[in-house]
Amino acid sequence: MSASTRNYIVRRILLLFPLLVGLSMVVFTIIHLAPGDPALAFVSEQSFDPTVVEQVRKNLGLDKPLPVQYGIWASKVARFDFGTAYTFNRKPVITLIGERLSNTVKLQALAISISLAVAIPLGIISARRQYSLVDNLATGGAFLGLALPDFWLALMLQLFFAVRLGWLPASTAGPEAEGFFEKLSYFVLPATVLAIPTIAIFTRFMRSSMLEVIHQDYITTARAKGLAERAVVFRHALRNAFVPMVTVVGNQLPRLLSGSVIVEAVFAWPGLGHLGYQAILQRDYPVILALTLLTGAAILVINVIVDVLYAILDPRITFS
Amino acid sequence: MQETAARTTVEFQRLARKPESQARIVWRNFRRNRLAVAGGVVVILLYLVAIFATALAPQDYAAFNRGKPLHPPSAEHWFGTDRQTRDVFSRVIVGSRVSLSVGLVSAGMIIVIGVTLGAIAGYFGGLVDNLIMRFTDIMLAIPGFFLLLTAAALFKPGLQTTMIVIGLTSWMSTARLVRGEFLRVKAQDFILAARAIGAPNLRIMVRHVLPNVLAVIIVQLTLWLSFAILLESGLSFLGLGAQPPTPSWGGMLADGRVNMQKAWWETVFPGMAIFLTVLSFNLVGDGLRDAFDPRQRRR
Repeated sequence: MSASTRNYIVRRILLLFPLLVGLSMVVFTIIHLAPGDPALAFVSEQSFDPTVVEQVRKNLGLDKPLPVQYGIWASKVARFDFGTAYTFNRKPVITLIGERLSNTVKLQALAISISLAVAIPLGIISARRQYSLVDNLATGGAFLGLALPDFWLALMLQLFFAVRLGWLPASTAGPEAEGFFEKLSYFVLPATVLAIPTIAIFTRFMRSSMLEVIHQDYITTARAKGLAERAVVFRHALRNAFVPMVTVVGNQLPRLLSGSVIVEAVFAWPGLGHLGYQAILQRDYPVILALTLLTGAAILVINVIVDVLYAILDPRITFS
Repeated sequence: MQETAARTTVEFQRLARKPESQARIVWRNFRRNRLAVAGGVVVILLYLVAIFATALAPQDYAAFNRGKPLHPPSAEHWFGTDRQTRDVFSRVIVGSRVSLSVGLVSAGMIIVIGVTLGAIAGYFGGLVDNLIMRFTDIMLAIPGFFLLLTAAALFKPGLQTTMIVIGLTSWMSTARLVRGEFLRVKAQDFILAARAIGAPNLRIMVRHVLPNVLAVIIVQLTLWLSFAILLESGLSFLGLGAQPPTPSWGGMLADGRVNMQKAWWETVFPGMAIFLTVLSFNLVGDGLRDAFDPRQRRR
């Protein structure tokens, strides 16, 4: 690793801290810019009483000026204290997130794995047999996949496989499900919905980066010196074709934590996306704040990791 | 002999002609791509449908057909009726207005914000660049749809909120791209020349750099037109976009979901409308990208 690469990595990591502080400010401001009073969420409409609302506001610290509120919140967050939710039985926010985290991670990890398993071979075959039937089907299919609204796809799959055929459960993560296969059956539809657009993206990239590599001189050299086609593709071409894929796959990794609001909502999947959706509808500020901040921070960290990995994988890149 | 002379004349005429304008080259390349042209035709038809929606719809989108709840598609009701006995076909036609207008306004906002910020960051560099791009990084770090939902829910949901919120939360990738393009163009000699004769910064940005970045911007615009429609239908589906009684494709899907077991037509047709619209815009966007830069054509 050259000195400039090392410098670059150190700089990226140091830059993380101001970015995280900036993120917390932006998130806090966006949520508190909004009109509407979260204190009202505590008071039922029948027993509306201005003095009670005032008391609630005081208890929540909502009567203080915004910078002061930010200071209090930020100093707690720095100690990983995200407070208690306004709704959800007033559970601590961190508990709420903890309960749902694994559901989202499992579902997204499965979806991304399926996408890679389908897209990488498909992209390679597509590139090696350019303009063949397989290639045209793959490219056309990828194009269609990118235009499909995920929630509609979810509804159509539910309609067909759950309602018409009754093969698979239509929704929920099935916490009471017994046995591996029964549990797995709940994953099939949501994971498919999440995988299809990702397969489309991955296939397109794998194909184009493979095409780029395959036409380079060193591949011709490898062929000319009599290497078997298998060795040319797997040992020489694929290695370099994978480098741009690191960024593309890396871009998808934040989904592991943020989840998909819309797909989780359609399948009533008890994950973070669904939690966020409910929190938004109920104006549960601590939950919204914690979710945006934690996923945002995770994304910033993942971005740094991906860039660093890229710098190590591709020594041609120089940093000024 | 005569033939050769004629051919030479033609050749000379061709050479003497003014070089083709970029717009003409782009149009010629675009026309060759049959799928892109088909997409373009569908896009134009969709806008026409949206403009003349109330005249084209066989029924008023809010009209009831007494005693006919959830009727399957028939000659009278092509796409069937919904639970409230309204004609689904008419509602799909009128629903195009929400999607296409949100797409247009939001994509316009995204381009204006993204291009302005990207241009300033790329052209001036230094501290301004750093501040703008770090802010962009932060905004990009917040999961897009979640940010969109939060903003949409916190303000009063509705058509205008949807347009503004999509515009304000989606400009980041465009800003990044435009910044890169400005950096690239700025380094070229003709910009140095413009500077040497004392052209003011704004003039250099608008008259000299921008035209060289226009291709990227136009392609971005078409892609955002389709992506904004996807976002809008998602928001409407979750009840945070256009509000009833305004019919929107996403809202119709949410309504139809309740009766999915009995009435497939309520979820199939509005979804097809979204799918076809997004697909057509994507075809145009891809066609334009290839037409602008044939070297970059996806092989």
